[in-house]
Amino acid sequence: MNLSCLDSLVPDYVKCFEAYVPSKPDHELKKIYGCTVLHRLNNNENPLGPPPAAQAVIDRFPPPRASLYPSGDAYDLRHRLADRFGLHPDQFLVGNGANEVIGFVIKAFCQQGDNIVTADRTFAVYEWVARFSGFEARLVPLKDFGFDDGGMSAQIDERTKILFVCNPNNPTGTYWSLDRLTRFLERVGPRRIVVVDEAYCEFVDQKDYPDGIRLIRDYPQLVVFRTFSKMYALAGLRIGYLAGAPEVVDVIRKTCVVYSVNVLAQEAALAALDDETHVHRTREMVREGKTYLSQALNRLGLPFICGEGNFMMVKLPISDTLAYRKLMTQGVMIRTMTGFRFPNWIRVTVSHRHAMDAFIRSLADQVAS
Amino acid sequence: MPLLETEHTPRLQVCTDVAFLPMLTGFVEKGAELFGLAPTQATELTLAVEEIFAYLCQTDRRVQPLDIRCSGGGYYVRIDFLLPAPAFNMRAFNLTASVPITEAGGMEEMGLRIASRLVDRLQLTESDGPGARLSLVKEKSYPPVSNPERLTAVPLESFAVTAPHPEELKRIAQMIPLAYQPHLIPSFFGFPGKVSDMVASGEYRAAIAKGDGGRIGGGILWHWTGARTVQCLGPYLFNQQTPHPMAEALLEACIGDIAKTQAVCLINRYPTDALPPGHFEPLGSWTGYTPAGTPIERVAYFRLMREDPGASVWCHPALEPFLRKEYRRLVLPREIFPAENLGESIPAFSVLWTEFDRSQAQVTLRPLRFGADAETNLIDHVRLLTKEPATGVFFFMDLGRPRQTLFTPHLLTHGFTPRAVLPYAGDGDIVIFQLNDPAS
Repeated sequence: MNLSCLDSLVPDYVKCFEAYVPSKPDHELKKIYGCTVLHRLNNNENPLGPPPAAQAVIDRFPPPRASLYPSGDAYDLRHRLADRFGLHPDQFLVGNGANEVIGFVIKAFCQQGDNIVTADRTFAVYEWVARFSGFEARLVPLKDFGFDDGGMSAQIDERTKILFVCNPNNPTGTYWSLDRLTRFLERVGPRRIVVVDEAYCEFVDQKDYPDGIRLIRDYPQLVVFRTFSKMYALAGLRIGYLAGAPEVVDVIRKTCVVYSVNVLAQEAALAALDDETHVHRTREMVREGKTYLSQALNRLGLPFICGEGNFMMVKLPISDTLAYRKLMTQGVMIRTMTGFRFPNWIRVTVSHRHAMDAFIRSLADQVAS
Repeated sequence: MPLLETEHTPRLQVCTDVAFLPMLTGFVEKGAELFGLAPTQATELTLAVEEIFAYLCQTDRRVQPLDIRCSGGGYYVRIDFLLPAPAFNMRAFNLTASVPITEAGGMEEMGLRIASRLVDRLQLTESDGPGARLSLVKEKSYPPVSNPERLTAVPLESFAVTAPHPEELKRIAQMIPLAYQPHLIPSFFGFPGKVSDMVASGEYRAAIAKGDGGRIGGGILWHWTGARTVQCLGPYLFNQQTPHPMAEALLEACIGDIAKTQAVCLINRYPTDALPPGHFEPLGSWTGYTPAGTPIERVAYFRLMREDPGASVWCHPALEPFLRKEYRRLVLPREIFPAENLGESIPAFSVLWTEFDRSQAQVTLRPLRFGADAETNLIDHVRLLTKEPATGVFFFMDLGRPRQTLFTPHLLTHGFTPRAVLPYAGDGDIVIFQLNDPAS
């Protein structure tokens, strides 16, 4: 096939977009960096693994069922979510990870010339999906490491369709209180969609932290994202969901890809949802890990941000990309923050004590010295 | 050098027959005028194009179709020859090539060499498909800095980093030569209008730090030098105490701008004392020259913009000790594959492309093809280039292209020393060699 005309087929907004290159698999990374173990502290995964009931579902999964299509719209899971949150099952859409539902929402509401508003230093996928779909992403600088509600409001114009708020914010861990979120919703009004991404909500232990799903009844322009990847440790199965007012979700459903969530993910999520013991154990591990890391980082004299979520940010005296390479040689994988527009910062997942020990030891040897 | 073409870019299609020369010169003259080149520069560009065209006509007796494009880059006009290689005799692109234009024999001063002196940049780019692009760039003429004594800066108690408007940009372009030695900055900073046009064209980007009343405390510029490499110039601080948080804020503006692009490497070849510690890694050093011709050792810095996923490179055994030492120092995970000629057939002729950067007294050789005459060809180039006074002669070897690494033993034998490894600057990493003491 002659592809000499390929260039003319590609929209400009795709041409100027750079594809995201994920990390290589662990076995390749270990070979490349010459390490025998690899502590994965880069993706905010839960080292405790899925809740026991979800693990049992995975263990017992009969291989022949892999030949059957899953429920196309995660029927059982949506009903279970509806019971749990007191909404109608049709107010939920389940996606192949929360990343997929970002695309559903943007495709449902944006057309040529529209824009979205979010922060400059937050989870990058809102910005990416908007840009490679041909829509402007208006990025508002963080204020004191948190989303700037005033700055976001100031960016709104008649073509603004969606505002994305990551609450708590990845990677800074800052959050908007119930009062601040509702004031923002009032100010934005009903003519625009406000997405609140609550990927890390189960880790938050603050009384004034809002449960976005409870606000949907009063604020029908609100769409809430949640994931089973973080607290429920089902990242490898890819499953997340959104919740919203019936009329809003009806619109989003039109752009929703059905059958994109596999059967194992649906059943494991269903089993994981009610395990409060797992949530408690994970929170306890994160709490202990943060205390340990905070003390160790203070001893090393390294500034850090310890907000909500199962991660912390650390400011280094060297380039974060150099720190990545140095730590990888010691079998410790962290996330560099240059791509988040936080040069010389790293984000580290709070994990088991032995992984935290390895991180601090490597940091002391390779970076702080 | 980014492609500037749009569907509206003026184009001319001719054949390599000197009968078309008047048509071509008319096209270039009109194009130069359209894109704002002054008559003197337009004439020089036209003469350079004449030389190239005549040269192309002479290098191959077959008549070839030729696509020629003219585009404006704000501060320059560019002519591109799209060459339908392999029809063209690539050997002719050696600066040392001597092609007879009369029955009487060859002329030493002709073609590429004359053209290279008439324009600011002459580049040959091999495309992924068949063919190559020969680009001639002629910059506009700008008046130098005027009334520098009126430019004063005061220490700022607070500041904000913003994108400058054109007048602010012209102002910092005037302030930078006052605050920094000429050999520490690119020469274009002496021409504020040019800097303004460079940024307006989108080829360069800039940020400034402003205090109350719009007082400027510092600035930084950056631009793409390759598909995955960005160079930053600065940060420059004006009458601010160093170290100062302003420098880091300016650098973060630059990094933030390219953080979500295809940029893999940010380099700084003109570090100043304002460069924030910890943001960069020392890449290597090379010998530069002051305007007076005094050699001066310079250090280049870099930072990767992403997590390094590891890579493989090709390497001649003679270069392996240097590479292993550098990769260990830079903590760059690389798998090194050997590349050497083991008696297999190779092309008879090699091709080296020469790029002049007269403002920095530098010449760069880029290998386009390895051949049996590689050593002789290298010696001829060195002999010719060392006639240039106080000029740094560099050789850029792409470790992603195994044939290029075969030049290694000849480089080491004839006075070149590997100075630095630039990660991801080509198909693979690029090793920068410098000719030792070219003035001697």
